[in-house]
Amino acid sequence: MNIIEIKNLKKDYFLGKTVVPALRGIDFAVEQGAFLSVIGPSGSGKTTLLNIIGCIDFATQGTVKIGDQEITSMNDRQITDIRLNKIGFIFQTFNLIPVLDVEENVEFPLLLMKKHSKGEVQKRARALIEAVGLSDFIKHKPAELSGGQRQRVAIARALVTKPDIVLADEPTANLDSVTGAQILELMKEMNEKESTTFIFSTHDHNVLKYAKKIIPLKDGMIEQAQ
Amino acid sequence: MELILKIAWRNILRHKGKSLVIGVILFLGAYLMTIGNGVITGMDQGLKSNIINGFIGHMVVVSEKQKSDNVLFAIYGKTIMPIYNYPEIKKVLAGQGYIKQFVPVGKNPALILNEESDMGRSFVLGVDFEQYQKVFPDNMLLTEGRLLKGKEHGVLVPEFARKESYEFTNIWLVPEGAKVIERNLTASARENKKDLIVKDYQVFMGMNEDNTTTDVRTPVKGIIKYRALNTFWGHFMVMDIESYRQCMGYFSASEKNMPVSKYSQALLSMDSKNLDEAFDASGVVVEDKKSTPFTKIAVSAGGQAGPDSLESGAYNLVFIKLKSADGLEKKAAVLNRLFKEKNLGVRVVTWKKASGVIGSLAVIIKGLLFGFVIFLFLVAVIIIVNTLTMAALERISEIGMMRAVGAQKSFIRNMFVAETAILSGTFGTLGIVLGIVTVLIVPYFNITTQNDMVALLYGGDALRPALDMRDIILALAQLVLVTLVSVVYPVKIAKGITPLDAVTRD
Repeated sequence: MNIIEIKNLKKDYFLGKTVVPALRGIDFAVEQGAFLSVIGPSGSGKTTLLNIIGCIDFATQGTVKIGDQEITSMNDRQITDIRLNKIGFIFQTFNLIPVLDVEENVEFPLLLMKKHSKGEVQKRARALIEAVGLSDFIKHKPAELSGGQRQRVAIARALVTKPDIVLADEPTANLDSVTGAQILELMKEMNEKESTTFIFSTHDHNVLKYAKKIIPLKDGMIEQAQ
Repeated sequence: MELILKIAWRNILRHKGKSLVIGVILFLGAYLMTIGNGVITGMDQGLKSNIINGFIGHMVVVSEKQKSDNVLFAIYGKTIMPIYNYPEIKKVLAGQGYIKQFVPVGKNPALILNEESDMGRSFVLGVDFEQYQKVFPDNMLLTEGRLLKGKEHGVLVPEFARKESYEFTNIWLVPEGAKVIERNLTASARENKKDLIVKDYQVFMGMNEDNTTTDVRTPVKGIIKYRALNTFWGHFMVMDIESYRQCMGYFSASEKNMPVSKYSQALLSMDSKNLDEAFDASGVVVEDKKSTPFTKIAVSAGGQAGPDSLESGAYNLVFIKLKSADGLEKKAAVLNRLFKEKNLGVRVVTWKKASGVIGSLAVIIKGLLFGFVIFLFLVAVIIIVNTLTMAALERISEIGMMRAVGAQKSFIRNMFVAETAILSGTFGTLGIVLGIVTVLIVPYFNITTQNDMVALLYGGDALRPALDMRDIILALAQLVLVTLVSVVYPVKIAKGITPLDAVTRD
């Protein structure tokens, strides 16, 4: 079953009067439970593609289906609901809420969902914090953490809602090799146990080793599917 | 909500500088707005109290012939129409349970004549002083001499009127038989002490609607000062009613009723526009050779026979004090209906209309003060909007990330509203509380003024701001309004921040 279906996806950016095409017509589908990597040189459109799949950017043309929902025709409220309930996003930079501690940052999307009891929220958040190796830093604010630690918090936050799809833009870029490997193992474990779909962009060969499928991008187009 | 409040509170603590700026503005705004409301209420209450309790009561009975309702501060030269049927009016007023007290008075301008200089002018209030004092007890302080006793003839001169009289005529008034008290002299009078003309009487020539007045030499019995709004009431010399009637040319109680011949009656009842008729075939003037005293003409023109009692003479106004000021307009309407039914030729006007210029100025000053409060409101809003907008723009990454994770726009809006509400609730409430304390303390400093405009602002001679529950609720409502208005634009900016803004910013 396809969790993502993309047809003729195009995205143009406008720099004054100049049109800069970022994606030039992409078609592909992703099955549920995929562990997929998007690769390509800088400017190839990796981040744009992830942003559109992650509902934080909009296509200029084409359609994107998440599950059975066509997101290109949705309003802001519906799009936000998709982001909350179906997608976990790990950004290139860490983007944590500075006034919340590690535990509260991880709990944040669960609290927005308003579906779970306080106890369950705490239990799930703590389990993931432990999984990313930050149990000792549970009450630390983002400013008191290293770059790698912050990235791990962001990963825990992306996974805590058990989303259908996790999008990760260079997830291990700021992590040391050991922590990076731990994170990838965690993602793989979730992929296998929960059938969570992972799509990540990377330049890291160690990350590529984990990918079951790779989509190579060049100049805004899929170069060749592997 | 707990999450929103938690983030809002921590953001306030994180951005202490900005929070403090907004907090201080909210504090000052709420503080000044509360004091402003207090001054407005104090002015309103003070004016009301000082006019009603100190001078004219809640309502004033005037002649139906009186065109303007403004009977108190009508310009000099504009006279107040007389009322000749007070005993009948008294019967109606005495039968109304909601009326506490009433007193008839004469009120008109008078010229002050003297041999030494130009004429002076003053308002004169003619009263049965004992009766007047029962209705307006302690509304004046005696600074020299004594108050009027019984039915004696005399005048009480306010300090203000004495000062004006001196500046205009170089005459310094003292009570009958008294000497000049040097400490009471004005600075200019003290310098001019050698040339000072000291007098213990005044010669008044009334100004009535028919210009049928006489000169009356009236001894000064005392120098007074009104307890409140002295610079306004200070224009009014208080005279015994009989002297007043004499100088106004009204029929007085001391004058006996004289029979008037039918020829005189015919002459008196003639239309003044057709006086030529007096010389036609009926020959009334020729047959009635006795002259008629001028004072009789006045009362005969009103159709009244004058009994001996003081109250049977002419007045101009009746001041009425009510047991309660509630439903003032309704009570006035009831009285007016009764007066009309009984065909008494009078009507009643409320104190606001009767006090004319004071009432109007009070409304203007109230409007100006309200404008000042609105100005503070706008300044506070502009500064808060600016600071919050800057805060929103500085938090693009944080807000965009929240939206990316799944926070709806309403969450962002509530977060900003909560932050402003916490600041507003804390600092604004503190401002209101301190404002209330200030309003309560200020009267103890006894800040007084002699300036007419400031006296109006104060609602009396002393600044006595006051707050009632409505003012406190109004201050809270203003605070809520400031908060809500201030947050609209920053929230719009914050809600417009997209997850992409956060990503591209990084």
